[in-house]
Amino acid sequence: MNIIETSRRQFLQGSVSLCIYATSTLSSPWRTTKTSNKKTTNTPYLCNMCRNKCAGYARVENGIITKLNPNHHFPKSRNMLCQKGNAGIQAIYDEDRLKYPLIRIGNRGDGRYKRATWDEAYEYIKEKLVTIIDEQKDNRSTVAYCNGEGFNKDEYIKFFGSKLGSANFLDEGSICLNTKLGATQLTIGDVGEMDVAGSDYMIISGANRYESLITPDSVDMIHSKQKLVVLDPRCTVTATKADEYLPLYPGTDLAFCLSMIYIALKEELYDKKYVREYFDDFKKLKSHILHEKYTSKWAESKTHISAKKIEQITREFFAASNPLYYLGRRSVWSQNDFQLRRAMVLINALAGSINRKGGIIFGKPIKLDDEAINEPIYDNAQGRFDLDGIVYGSQKGGSWLNFRQKVLDKTAPYPIKAMFIRKHNIMQNMPNIAKTKKMLEMMDLVVVLDTMPSDTAMMADVILPECTYLEREDMVVSFNRLEPSLALRNQVIEPLYESKSMQDILKGLGKKLSVPLFNVSAKYDEDLQESIKEDGMHKAFVEGGYDMAELYHYTTTQRNKKLITKQFGKEVYNSLKEKGVWYPYMKEQKELFNDFYEYYPPEKRFYTVDKRYRVKASLSKLEKAGFDAMPTWHKRYDFNLHEDKFRVITGRYVTTTQSATANNVMLKDFHEENFLWINDNDAKRFGIEKGDSVVVMSSLSSIVIKANPTNKIAPNVLWIPHGFGIDSQEMTNAYAKGASDNMIIEDKFEKIYGCATMHETNVIIRKI
Amino acid sequence: MANYGMAFDYKLCINCHACEVACKEENGIDLGAKNHRLWIQEDAAVSGDFWNLERDKVEFMQMQCQECQDAPCMAACPNGAIYRDENGIVRLHKDLCDLTRACMSACPYDARYVDEKNHITDKCIFCADTRLARGETTTACQITCPAKLRYFGDLDDPESEISKVLTSRKYFTLKPEHKTKPKLFYLE
Repeated sequence: MNIIETSRRQFLQGSVSLCIYATSTLSSPWRTTKTSNKKTTNTPYLCNMCRNKCAGYARVENGIITKLNPNHHFPKSRNMLCQKGNAGIQAIYDEDRLKYPLIRIGNRGDGRYKRATWDEAYEYIKEKLVTIIDEQKDNRSTVAYCNGEGFNKDEYIKFFGSKLGSANFLDEGSICLNTKLGATQLTIGDVGEMDVAGSDYMIISGANRYESLITPDSVDMIHSKQKLVVLDPRCTVTATKADEYLPLYPGTDLAFCLSMIYIALKEELYDKKYVREYFDDFKKLKSHILHEKYTSKWAESKTHISAKKIEQITREFFAASNPLYYLGRRSVWSQNDFQLRRAMVLINALAGSINRKGGIIFGKPIKLDDEAINEPIYDNAQGRFDLDGIVYGSQKGGSWLNFRQKVLDKTAPYPIKAMFIRKHNIMQNMPNIAKTKKMLEMMDLVVVLDTMPSDTAMMADVILPECTYLEREDMVVSFNRLEPSLALRNQVIEPLYESKSMQDILKGLGKKLSVPLFNVSAKYDEDLQESIKEDGMHKAFVEGGYDMAELYHYTTTQRNKKLITKQFGKEVYNSLKEKGVWYPYMKEQKELFNDFYEYYPPEKRFYTVDKRYRVKASLSKLEKAGFDAMPTWHKRYDFNLHEDKFRVITGRYVTTTQSATANNVMLKDFHEENFLWINDNDAKRFGIEKGDSVVVMSSLSSIVIKANPTNKIAPNVLWIPHGFGIDSQEMTNAYAKGASDNMIIEDKFEKIYGCATMHETNVIIRKI
Repeated sequence: MANYGMAFDYKLCINCHACEVACKEENGIDLGAKNHRLWIQEDAAVSGDFWNLERDKVEFMQMQCQECQDAPCMAACPNGAIYRDENGIVRLHKDLCDLTRACMSACPYDARYVDEKNHITDKCIFCADTRLARGETTTACQITCPAKLRYFGDLDDPESEISKVLTSRKYFTLKPEHKTKPKLFYLE
C-alpha cells in the first residue's frame, strides 16, 4: 500500500486525483482466483449486489473468498446466483474501496483528503455537530440523514431518528417505488406481494424483469407456463421473451389500463361476486369510467396499441383463471404514476385477483420482535417539512426532491446544517445533479458512510469506511409472504483494511456524541432541565435514553442469538447460522428438476388468508386536495412531441445495479460505458450511426453519449442506461465512462407521494 | 470414471451473464471480454419497424466447447498436447502446448481462446480441475443459472438426469455437418 502523506500532497498539487486510499492505478487490475481442488469452508451469506438479497455460500480459501455459489435452502432466490451476485468478489477486493477514515482538506468534490484514525474522525464530527445543534437551539432535525435500499436501515433510523432525534430521514422510496407501494396500500389496505408463479396470465407494463432481476419473480417467469404480455416503449429482453409484445408511447400505460377497465365494465367481464363483496364506490368507478368513454379506440389514439389488440388482451385477461397485472417496482415515471398503479390494482381487483393464488396476495410474513430502545424526547426537535404540499407521501422516507428544493430555496422552516449519508449515492441517484451538489455545499457538515469513493463520498467532510456485506453479520431478516422465511447474513471474512460494520461505526459515534449532545439539550430543553433537577444528571441521562450507543452494548452476533433464540428457539438459530435460512418446511424441501426446488408444499403456501379489507375505488382525500379521486386521463398526459424532440427514459443493463456496481471490473467487461438507444429511423434523419457521439440537451444541461440506433425503441424516445458517467476520479474503473442520465433529467415530482418523475424530460439532440 | 456431457434447455436463456461470471470466478479466467470459456450467442432476429417488430422468441444460445467425441482439435495439435481424460473431457497437457493455435483453427465452434497468463489455448473443461476435482457434481455455470437450463451429468449413467432428459426430449447438436459428434445437446 502506497499512502501519499498530506505533506506530499502539496507537492502534487495540480493533480486532482490525489487520493490516499487508492493504492495505485498502475498496479495490475484485480484478477480472478481459480478455486482449488480441495474441500474447504463454505459460509452461508446474503448477497448485497442489488435489492434482492439472494442467499449464497461463500467459499473461503486461506482467508480469501474465491467463489460465491447459490444457496439452495432459500425459497426467495430459488437456488440461483446471478451475474452480479457472482461478481460480488470483485466488490470486496476492489482496490478503490474506502479503506480508512478520511477528513477533507480540499474543497468539496475535489477529492483531497487526509487519512485519519477512527477517533479523529469521530472527534471531528463531534466538534461540528455540537456547534450546529447548539446554534440551532437543540433542534435535532437540523441534521438530515439518509440511507439507500438495504439491511440495517431501521437501525440507522433508530440511531439518527430515535436517539439523535432528527425527523428528517430520506431514502430511495421517493426516487423508486413509493407510488406503487402507496397505491396498493391505499386501494386494498396492504402493499401485498405479487404471486407471479401462480398466475396463468400476466401483463407487465414497463418493468423489465429479465434485465432487472427480482427474485423470485424473474425466475418464476422463466419456468411459468403463463401467457406473458409486455407493454414497453422499448423492446427489452422481457419484451422479446413475451408471448405478446405491445409497443406503446411512454407514459401512456394508464390509457391502456383505463381502457381495460372500460371494456371489463362495459362487457361485464369482471368478477361480480368479488366486486359485490369487497368494493367500495364501485358504482362511482363505473359511472366515471363509462362517462369518460375510455374505449379501446380512444386508448389506441393515446398508446399506439390497436383497439382490437386492447380488446383481445382485456378479454383474455378476465377470462383467465389467475390473471395478474404486474405492478412493477421502480414505478416513478410520470405525473400520473400514482393513479397508473391504482388502475393496475383495480384491474386485479375487478378480476378478483386479490388474496388468492396468482394475484396480489397478503400472505403471512414472519414478524420479528423489535429490539426496544429507550427513546429520548426532544422538546425543540421540529417536524419534517418535505411532505408539505404532498397529499400522502411516505412518513418514513419522505420526498427527496421536495426536501432538496426547500433546503435550496430556504423555504424550509429551519435550516438543514448537517447530513449523514449511508449507502445512498445521492450525487448520482436523483434528477438534477447540480442541485444535489449545491445542497451539499450549503451544509456545515457532511458525513458519508460507504464502501466506495462514490461521487457522494467526494462531497463529504468526513468519510467513514463501512465494510462490505461479506465482512459482517447483519441482523436477521424476514422475507416474503407466500413462502415466508428468515435469513441471516453471516460474516464470511474479517473486515478488510480499517473498515467497520455500520453497527461498530454507530457504536463509536454514539459513545463520542452522547454526552456532548446531552449537554446541548440540557441547555435548551426545559423538560430535560426539570428531570436533571429532580433526578440528577446521571439518572436523567440514563433513564431519558440519551445513550446513543444503547443498541450496541452487545455485538450483532449476540443480539441475533438472543433475539432469534428467544422468539423461535435454538433450532431456528442453528439453521440460520449453518444454512443461512430457516423456514418451517425445510425438511420437506424437494428437488423438482435439475437443482430447482419446491420449498413450501403447495397446500401450505399462504395464497389466501383471513383478512378484512376493502377495495377503495375512490379516494376522497385526493378529491379534497384537488386531485383525481379515481384514475383519470388528462390531455397533458398525451405523448405529443415535435418530430425533432425526444423524451428521455431511463433503466439499466442487466449487469448493473444503478451506480453501485459502476466500478466492478468484472461487470465492466459487459458494459464499459453506456449507449444511447435511439430509434433507427430517427437516427437516420439526424445522420447518426452506431458509436457516433451525440449531444443530448435538456433544459438543465447536456451530456455526450455514444449512440446505439435500433429498431427496438419507439420514435422520439431515447433510452439512457443509468449508472454511468461517474465523476469521482477515485472510482478508477468507472470515472468518466459513459454519461449520467441525471445530469439532464429534470427534477419534477408528482404531488401524491412526492416522487421524482423520471420519464418526463424532453430533449434535443445533435451529432458531433 | 464418467462420460460427462451437457444439455441446454436453450430457449429459457435470458442472457443474464451469470454463467459467464461464475465460470470466470471459479476457474480463474482473466478479465476481458475475449477471455472466456463460455459465452452466449445472440441470435437476435428482431426485424422490421418499431411498431411492427417481428420477434424471434429464441434469442440466446449457450456456446462453449462441444466436447466432440471426434475432436478436430485433438487431431490438429502437432504436439499431441490434447487428450481425453478419464471422464471423457477433452483436456490439455499444458506443458506440451506451445501455442501453435492449430487447435483453434481446427475447432468449428470457436471454443478456444488464448490464455495469455498461462500461455496455452484454453476452453471449457466442465470445471474438471476445480469443482469436479473436489468431488462436486455440478459445474459453476450449471448451478448458478437462474433458469437452471444446463443439465450436466454422466451420459453413460441411464439414471442421470441428463440421460433421462435426452431420452424424453428432442434435441439437436451444433454443426452436424462437421461430424464431430458433440456431447453437448440443445433441447427442443
